[in-house]
Amino acid sequence: MSLPLFTIRPATQFWAAVLLPGAVLLALIAGLSGCSRGQNVQNGPGGNDTNYVGGTVGTTVFKAGQRPAAPRVTGPTLTGQRLSLSRYRGDVAVLNFWASWCAPCRSEAPALAQLSRSYQAKGVRFVGINIKDPGRANGEAYERSFGIRYPSLYDPAGQLLLEFRQTVPPSAIPSTLVIDRTGHIAARIIGGVTYSGLRKLLDGLTSQSPTSGETG
Amino acid sequence: MTDTRMTGVAEPTGSGGVAAVGGMPGDAPPESPDQAAAQVAKPFGILGWLRWCWRQLTAMRTALVLLFLLALASVPGSVLPQNGTDPASVQQYISQHPFLGPLLNRLSLFDVFAAPWFAAIYLLLFASLAGCVLPRAFRLAVSARAKPPAAPRHPARLPFGVSYQTALRPAEVMAAATTLLARKKFRLRLGDTTGDGSGDVAGGAAGDVAGGAAGDVAGGAAGDVAGEAPGSAWLAAEKGYLREAGNLLFHIALLALLAAVGLGALFGYKADILLTEGNGFANTVASYDQYHPGRAVAPGDLQPFTLWLDTFRASYVQSGPLRGDPSSFSAFVRYQAEPGGPIQRYNLRVNQPLNVDGAKVYLIGHGYAPVFRVVDGRGHVALQQAVPFLPASTTDFTSEGVIKVPDARPRQLGFVGVFLPTAVSVGGRLESAFPAPLRPAVSLVSYAGNLGLDSGAPQSVYQLDTAAMRRLPIAPRPLLAGQSMKLPNGSGSVTFTGYRQWTSLQVTYDPGRFPALVSAVVAIAGLLLSFLIRRRRLFVRVRPGGEGLTEVEVGGLARSDVAGGFEEEFAALSAALRAAHDAREGEAGESTAPNEPAPALPSATEDEDRT
Repeated sequence: MSLPLFTIRPATQFWAAVLLPGAVLLALIAGLSGCSRGQNVQNGPGGNDTNYVGGTVGTTVFKAGQRPAAPRVTGPTLTGQRLSLSRYRGDVAVLNFWASWCAPCRSEAPALAQLSRSYQAKGVRFVGINIKDPGRANGEAYERSFGIRYPSLYDPAGQLLLEFRQTVPPSAIPSTLVIDRTGHIAARIIGGVTYSGLRKLLDGLTSQSPTSGETG
Repeated sequence: MTDTRMTGVAEPTGSGGVAAVGGMPGDAPPESPDQAAAQVAKPFGILGWLRWCWRQLTAMRTALVLLFLLALASVPGSVLPQNGTDPASVQQYISQHPFLGPLLNRLSLFDVFAAPWFAAIYLLLFASLAGCVLPRAFRLAVSARAKPPAAPRHPARLPFGVSYQTALRPAEVMAAATTLLARKKFRLRLGDTTGDGSGDVAGGAAGDVAGGAAGDVAGGAAGDVAGEAPGSAWLAAEKGYLREAGNLLFHIALLALLAAVGLGALFGYKADILLTEGNGFANTVASYDQYHPGRAVAPGDLQPFTLWLDTFRASYVQSGPLRGDPSSFSAFVRYQAEPGGPIQRYNLRVNQPLNVDGAKVYLIGHGYAPVFRVVDGRGHVALQQAVPFLPASTTDFTSEGVIKVPDARPRQLGFVGVFLPTAVSVGGRLESAFPAPLRPAVSLVSYAGNLGLDSGAPQSVYQLDTAAMRRLPIAPRPLLAGQSMKLPNGSGSVTFTGYRQWTSLQVTYDPGRFPALVSAVVAIAGLLLSFLIRRRRLFVRVRPGGEGLTEVEVGGLARSDVAGGFEEEFAALSAALRAAHDAREGEAGESTAPNEPAPALPSATEDEDRT
């Protein structure tokens, strides 16, 4: 029966009006969550069982004057001593985040070991931060394998990474930070370092006199 | 008579939508199809084109097509391997299909959910939906505040209708009806055609009769035009506006839900980590095994908490047909919300996530991590750790795993192992009889050589690449906790010192979750309101009849697409109306008639009781 006073759309259309947005919404939620799953996923390059997230690999260099201050990092080393980064104020410091099981870390380790020796005399200090390694023995064996003499902070939970979150978060293993003489972060390398790449960075920083670095 | 029926009704066209219900003269919705058609007929300017495009985009048809397209576009995502979930398979696929692989890659078919064309579909859908819902919400808002339409000329001819005569004067009939319907919370509109018969005469006086309860009584309403006898009047009453309010609520909540979902996708993240008893992790990207950030999430945005897993307990049904089924899981964790903060404890259970600053930590899986100590050929401890093994069977938790000892010298060592929580010998073969660790044992196959880790190529921690390794000539034999195995050729020894359990944890942060929940609840509540509540109308029209009597017509209407019930309501209402009139008539008969006959209506004979 027609109802002249009620110009409301028929029942089916009304249902469509209510149900369609609902259905669209469901699909949208599925789609959006799907896209956030697919689009921004960051896995290890070899799949999701490599034990770590491989970030965007690359080097970021900060110009003098725009360098963020490195956080004060203190903690126990692999050998059980206490170590504070502030000890290296006045020196150029290389901070390397590593784990014994991490393949890219193992491939960059010889370069780090060699550079740490050859730049010792130029006032460059290397410090490792051993993260995500479930035992000291593994880290010690790693240092033995690669002849690494510089100390490493032992941080299985990765808590020291939190100290860097406001400045230059190392978002992958391995990551390397180069800190200038004034305690400011001059460069960040995500992924393995190369011998020549790191050397160039260190040459640039060590050629500056300690006073010219103060501008940062 | 059909033409007069529409006189007081301001509906502009036949299908103006919900908004047109009870529309006042002049507020015809511009979206009516007739007018749209009229616009189409005009030559298109740029504006016209834009308007046409927008109308097409926001049409329900378009939304449906887009929805279908979205479903269709997701299909390759489940047919082809995806970079997001399984990049290794994608590489494999591309190398196996030298022609098709790169082509599909170029079309983003290995990254369907990140593809530009996929984004185009869902953004269009989003725009379409918002464009559809927003104007509808406005129209509903107008509709929820609308006044009832004017009464038809003959309300008694409506689906529900009665007519009777009373000795009351029309004004008294109206007053009684107004009082009754206002008390019943009807929204009222009064019309009067006394005097010159050209409408708009029923001023504030008539409208105010209802008093406080009916605050929204229509004041000056468009009355009937011509042809009505002086003294006739009408009353339109409507109830159930909550239906429109509910519908409006539903639409607004839908938009809020959209916004909340967008918020979550933009500012949320999800990450997975496998955590062994005794270990901890800081909430940083580098800690995680998998990490899925929202678009606007930077690594520095993650909540700076640290969490340690002290112990994990799983209990299993000990007997009966469900023997071996898990009965409870609980993980005892410590956490620190920020560096230097106090350390708190929490008992993490399934579906009882830990909430740290809005980030939720869920317990989603567990397994065994046998602890090994490997001494290399030179007498150094090359590895000492709990190695997570993956359960190959969830009924008895037989687990498989790989131990890599890259720092063993002179040669690197690797082991492929099986962990049995409750090892029993079944016909000479070792099997696990129960998922709980009642008699843990491992069996190892040993390799020596090059693990391939030092080349820098990432590899799975659950697979051993034996291409450059040699299997050591030692028969695998089960090791119970504390037992060692000496490796041949001076390669060292391996000790199974015990086991730990691991949990897989998922950390999610979704700032849109709570708003989305609230929106969903509100949407459902609004939907219920709009379904459960009927819009129903009641019209009363009075005309001076013959012999001093007043003709009263009462008619009712309800939405037809809801379950019945109005019939009873109408019967009750019209009966109450009539009773009210009769009661007044009685009063009038007793008090007014003898003293002062009503001067306004000389023909009315008050004391003539019809009943």
